[in-house]
Amino acid sequence: MKDILSLFFAYARSGLKSRFQYKVDAIVVIFAVFLREAGGVIAMYLALQKFGTINDWSIDELLFLFSLIFITYGIFIVFFMALRDFPDWIKHGDFDRVLLRPRGVLTQLVLCGADWLAAFGHGTLGILLLIISANRVGVEWNVKTVLYYLMCVIGGVLIQGAVFLAFSAITFYVLETNSLKEIFYWNMRKFAIYPLSIYNKFIQAILIFVVPFAFVNYFPAQFFLQKPDMASYPTWFMYITPIVGIVLYALAYAFWRFSLRFYKSTGN
Amino acid sequence: MNRYLQFAVIRFKSKTAYRFDYFLGILNSLLSFVVYYSIYKALYGGAQSIDGISFSMVTTSFLISLGLSSAFNKNEMFLQDKIKQGTIANELLKPVNFKLRMLFEDAGEGAFNVVFNFLPTALIAALFANICAPSGAINMLLCIASVILGYIVLWQISFIVQCWSFWLFSVWGLVTIKNVVINILAGSYIPMWFMPEKIRSILRFTPFESIYFMPVQLYLGGLSQWEILLGFLRQLAWIAGLYVIGELCWRSGIKRLVIQGG
Repeated sequence: MKDILSLFFAYARSGLKSRFQYKVDAIVVIFAVFLREAGGVIAMYLALQKFGTINDWSIDELLFLFSLIFITYGIFIVFFMALRDFPDWIKHGDFDRVLLRPRGVLTQLVLCGADWLAAFGHGTLGILLLIISANRVGVEWNVKTVLYYLMCVIGGVLIQGAVFLAFSAITFYVLETNSLKEIFYWNMRKFAIYPLSIYNKFIQAILIFVVPFAFVNYFPAQFFLQKPDMASYPTWFMYITPIVGIVLYALAYAFWRFSLRFYKSTGN
Repeated sequence: MNRYLQFAVIRFKSKTAYRFDYFLGILNSLLSFVVYYSIYKALYGGAQSIDGISFSMVTTSFLISLGLSSAFNKNEMFLQDKIKQGTIANELLKPVNFKLRMLFEDAGEGAFNVVFNFLPTALIAALFANICAPSGAINMLLCIASVILGYIVLWQISFIVQCWSFWLFSVWGLVTIKNVVINILAGSYIPMWFMPEKIRSILRFTPFESIYFMPVQLYLGGLSQWEILLGFLRQLAWIAGLYVIGELCWRSGIKRLVIQGG
């Protein structure tokens, strides 16, 4: 464990150093990511100035909902960025290098590829939204709720990590998975930002059972907010985000281990 | 002029090579539309109209801005890449106006996106969403004219931002920030009708209002002749103003340009 930590810090140090080589540029990029993600939030804020609420969610409650997706993505991108760009690793032959080193394959991938600038952009936005909204929506913070919030964040990171781990495993068979990711991750994420109940049943089913983004933000937020639209879903959905995260990640990991055998180097 | 048109045609044809990409592109656009459709359906909560704006007017306005943004979906790192790789030197030697060539190539790509991305998306969207019919043949023509002017405004803003690559390490951040500002203030994220009055009164003095909202209003009808004339004059004035700024940036950039090797 100590070994892994020191490896992570070594990677983090060199990663940060290289990204901050051009300091002004790095800060502009962080700000740009922050603003790009905040765009949808600002639009929603302006719209609710006119409409008041959306499916009974006030703007503060929405900000609380948004904060979960940004915080989890900010952490996700520190650990799973190499899996996000995994087809490139295979195509460029970088993956062969990983296989030759005396550490676990996935351990190395998880530790090495942090996209720090995007992580700061998303993370700052998420934390800012949480700070703005947490008190106003009347969440009672005590040991139990704080602990559950942290477990939901970890669960949310693992859910997204599991999706990418599964896609990376598929890459061993088909080499190119960016289009699949576009359909099943990026597009689903567009939906997942907003309250699940505004969509038709088909989209809801996908977000609950296929790419379970609903457990990243909607159901955990319901645990804290108890909005009336929760009545359409089983109550226990509010409590299982950490379990969904761990189970999905374990399944994805098993699939990854199984698929790794079929890896053939594409050469370079 | 013919020669520049060829640039547009070539770019259009080269885009047709990637078949799978268009299906994906259509799906992406369609899903973006569904997100906005669902949000505004929930916001309307079954009401027929709010402040005289019906739900189908809102969906129509989103569809039109989707069309314009798909026309404008292009590589905004173009100039930076040319400068970084030094290939801009060869471009400057060619007997064509670099800026005009860039405009026509982008327009060719935009035309491709409209035909193969926006039109199929709009047809599918019309199957499940209530989309208003155009308010008349003349208004439709005026709408298309205004879209073209809006495109030129957008293009020039993009060109000015891209010109910063003569001075900066990377313009990715600036381009992204510019796009967020345009998407919010020009009304592609939120229809202009619902923009708070204070912000709207400021927006009248910027080029943003005329980009997406003018075509929407022309398509839906209801503008007086005087308002139409004023709108077009405003668009033309912005094109002229932005042209001057763009030329200044471009010329001082070229003067500063140093090419390493080649």
